[in-house]
Amino acid sequence: MKDRKYYTTRIVTYYDIVKSVALRNIKVRYKNSVLGFFWSMLNPLVFLGIFVFIFSKAFPTIENYPLYAITGLIFWTFFSTSSNQIISSILESGAILKSFSIPPLVFPLSALVAALVNLAFSFIPFIGLMFFFGFQLKWVTLMIIPIILLFALFTFGFSLILCTLNVFFRDVSMFWGTINPAILYFTPVAYASTLVPEHLRWLLQVNPLFHFFEIIRDVLYYGRFPSLYYLGTSTAITLVTVTLSVVIFNKLKRGFISCI
Amino acid sequence: MSSAKSDIIISAKDLEVSYLVQREGVSSLKQYLFSFGTKPLFERRKVLTGVSLEVKRGECLGLLGRNGSGKSTLLKTLAGIIQPTSGTMMVRGRIAPMLALGVGLEKEMSGYENIKLCGTLMGMTNKELEDSMESIIDFSELGDDIYMQVKRYSSGMMARLSFAIAIAKDPEILMIDEALSVGDAGFRAKCLNRIQEVRAKGSTIIYVSHSVEEVESFCDSAAFLKDGKIVMAGSVKDVLPVYLEEYK
Repeated sequence: MKDRKYYTTRIVTYYDIVKSVALRNIKVRYKNSVLGFFWSMLNPLVFLGIFVFIFSKAFPTIENYPLYAITGLIFWTFFSTSSNQIISSILESGAILKSFSIPPLVFPLSALVAALVNLAFSFIPFIGLMFFFGFQLKWVTLMIIPIILLFALFTFGFSLILCTLNVFFRDVSMFWGTINPAILYFTPVAYASTLVPEHLRWLLQVNPLFHFFEIIRDVLYYGRFPSLYYLGTSTAITLVTVTLSVVIFNKLKRGFISCI
Repeated sequence: MSSAKSDIIISAKDLEVSYLVQREGVSSLKQYLFSFGTKPLFERRKVLTGVSLEVKRGECLGLLGRNGSGKSTLLKTLAGIIQPTSGTMMVRGRIAPMLALGVGLEKEMSGYENIKLCGTLMGMTNKELEDSMESIIDFSELGDDIYMQVKRYSSGMMARLSFAIAIAKDPEILMIDEALSVGDAGFRAKCLNRIQEVRAKGSTIIYVSHSVEEVESFCDSAAFLKDGKIVMAGSVKDVLPVYLEEYK
């Protein structure tokens, strides 16, 4: 009974729903605000200002501090906003999940797609700014595309775990909102990892974000091919996180309806 | 294909549905942790037990029962929204669940954009949506207001739009959960007309209502639910007296 056509139509509907919901997320986010989309750029710009003002003198080893900071901030902003949106995505769509037969995974996926579109758009002005700070376009810059996809996948897996738990315990999103800013300073966004004393380096290694930021900086700041070691660890982290998240999600999704 | 079996469009056997109910407060978490996970954090509460049901193609089934008897849960289970804890279930055909009018509408977007969003959520393809766009706008009687943000709609307008989307493509199975209790008399009559029309084309309908008159005039068969069990199922003529006797 369930032949190939059955599955293709199901995938097409899945795709259609994700597209529609992602489009809704994008449209609704900046409705009724005058500056609209510019708000999503203002946040990293403010941080950039703070970082440059405070830290550029403190870290003289970083040759081009503004470029260093901005390459990190773009991705930090992506991580921080998309994780928050994914975590709340299922609870926000509670009414829909209770009225239509829709696979719940649609909502975190749509949140991710919307965040990626947002990232793509915010790249346009940021690339201008990066050039202003002395960024040079090279062939190796293209490597950022697979890295973005990898990073997005990791962000999705990580946030999906929190999203699933958040359905049962709303404390999860509160907790995440609280420690999110702390993680910013725990990750080498504003400072170079080389500045961390040798005996504390392991602290960086246990932070998954650190591995991604190393390869992002390789490509966008140093203009070189990403370190194979960190490329490998990032891929491994992503695979483990995504697998784990899917397992947890599938195990717990049956309970969603009664807890929303 | 015209064997007796293919005439049955929905069949459920021994369905059991239970909800997880969270124990309140921090104390439950403390208990859970100190009992090393032996005291559960969540309780299971049974809502439906041993429900078996068969619906034939083209039949109109009315679900009767008081508040909390499990009618809505049964409907949601059949619609695939809630997974049964145990039991088997088979549904053949596209379901249009009309469980609450207005759900899925994004208030910040225009009615027109909402048709696309909501239609997709209900399982329509882009092509089907394009084809039925005009008839949806027509049925909703919204006219040029369709380009206005939904948050500026009255609740009646929202109900009209929502109903129009749900019933745009003649569904094989239509599930209505007291959704029509909103809206004015004119809208109600119009909806009932449209439902009759869909029914005449051979759709199967499951109808939840408190109004005995509506079930009597509308449905061929009925099922009477009490405390999550089916007390009686059969033709409306047989079931109604039992139901009325119970809640005299």
